Amino acid sequence: MQTAIKFENVNKSYGKLQALAEINLNIKQGEFFGLLGPNGAGKSTLIGILGGLVNKDSGQITVLDKDIIANYRETKKSLGIVPQEITFDPYFTVRETLAIQSGYFGIKDNSDKIDELLQALSLEDKADIGPRQLSGGMKRRLLIAKALVHDPEIIVLDEPTAGVDVELRNSLWEYVLQLNEQGKTIILTTHYLEEAEALCDRIAILDQGRVVKVDSKENLINSIDKKVVQIKFATQTSQLESRLADFDFKIAAAGKEIEIETAKADLNKLLKIVNKFEAEVVDINIESAKLEDVFIKLTNLGGADN
Amino acid sequence: MLTINKITFSSLVKREIFRFSKVAIQTIFAPLISTGLYLIIFSYSFQNREVTEYGIPYINFIVPGLILMSLIQNSFANTSSSLIGAKYNGIIIDFLLAPFSYIELSLGFMIGGIIRGMLVGSVTYLISIFFYGGSIAHPFLAVVFALLVSAVFSLFGIIAGLWSEKFDHVSIFSNFFITPLTFLSGVFYSVKGLPGIWGKLSLFNPVFYMVDAVRYAFVGQSDISPTFSALIISAFAVALLFLVTYLFKIGYKIKS
Repeated sequence: MQTAIKFENVNKSYGKLQALAEINLNIKQGEFFGLLGPNGAGKSTLIGILGGLVNKDSGQITVLDKDIIANYRETKKSLGIVPQEITFDPYFTVRETLAIQSGYFGIKDNSDKIDELLQALSLEDKADIGPRQLSGGMKRRLLIAKALVHDPEIIVLDEPTAGVDVELRNSLWEYVLQLNEQGKTIILTTHYLEEAEALCDRIAILDQGRVVKVDSKENLINSIDKKVVQIKFATQTSQLESRLADFDFKIAAAGKEIEIETAKADLNKLLKIVNKFEAEVVDINIESAKLEDVFIKLTNLGGADN
Repeated sequence: MLTINKITFSSLVKREIFRFSKVAIQTIFAPLISTGLYLIIFSYSFQNREVTEYGIPYINFIVPGLILMSLIQNSFANTSSSLIGAKYNGIIIDFLLAPFSYIELSLGFMIGGIIRGMLVGSVTYLISIFFYGGSIAHPFLAVVFALLVSAVFSLFGIIAGLWSEKFDHVSIFSNFFITPLTFLSGVFYSVKGLPGIWGKLSLFNPVFYMVDAVRYAFVGQSDISPTFSALIISAFAVALLFLVTYLFKIGYKIKS
């Protein structure tokens, strides 16, 4: 597959604070790529540099093989960036906002695309009012429509669902997945890890300005050797507890439910112990690791200072 | 960096015109009130006075200066408030994310300022017809000079807007540069009549050349050669255009 975006040795400091250190990333065309990291990890700075909002100190970035500095006019047309902050020109209605935005990107009459976007993002009946009269969720949708008027190949969503209700979030993701199926490259930064887990093919985890890991979602999750076994008994489990000294466990439901964390290699050992315990098992539930576990392990959120 | 895409560029100009027309009360009509008051007061107070250096009635002498003043103030106000506003409400990122070349940004904002300056300047002229008759010795030159002056102050307004972090900062430019330089430029008096050093000092005031050139276009006489003034004003316009384009290129106070 062709490369959509390539970051090579990108550095950025704000005074003494190194916001980005030697960032190297290759995002392929057609990918749904996640950029995860705790607050201050450098995600927004990286996207800012990509979009021309932030000057990098060193390194190179290419968008569809074009340098973002030397060929900024072309690369900006290939990118549709949905910024994190909601801001609108207060002088325009929703439709005017999209028309003027099309003009900025060199498109004269874009009413077909604008109609399509208004419909896709359920904004048709708000077309002629000002952005100030829109609800928070509608503003967010307008922000997305604005980034898409020029039909960009690569769509970057910087925390797009912050403060958006669940229903809207789902319809938003449906639309973004649809764009991805049409061949658009999607880059998503989010701190809703479930969201990244559900949507992204590949994920880069950033921490303190560094890429600590880039891998497919499956590999990342498999890299964590963890199973959580929940067992519900008909009677109290107190006798079982003493035999589980080698495991991490929690008791719930007035002593009738036990939740045990184990490595895969110890699953058999665990099951044998449970088997010897003769109480009646009502239910068993085994969960694998989540992206969240990977995230906590790889970032400073899991560090000793937290 | 120096390419211009017609649609991209005209969209910015359109946005700029839209911006000031939506708030026309404060951007167009309010400035006309103050200039109208100047005209009423000066024509009434000095109705029998003649400017001896020029041999013309005082009202004929100050009309070009007053038109120029409103031109300067409004060109400057338009670009400076457009940019500080865009920075303040965050929509400056629209201009950074879109494929604008730096010269498109400079010229786009500049033309927005010129259009508002020329609009208010023209209406000021129309009002002044009631006070002095409306004769213009060199109409074509009047338009050319007005455009040049307007360009200079639109560009200056861009710099002020970029530099300012708050709306208050813009008024530092108005209060400490524009108002004193305009009032001391010979809008209200002939620099020829100033004693000794004061006349010489005026030569360091760029607004003096602007007032003098526009006055030449209106009354056919001036303190110094209008060709020389035109050169000075053009040099300012070109230098500021380069500076503004450079500031957009480095993202002065708009990129981190």
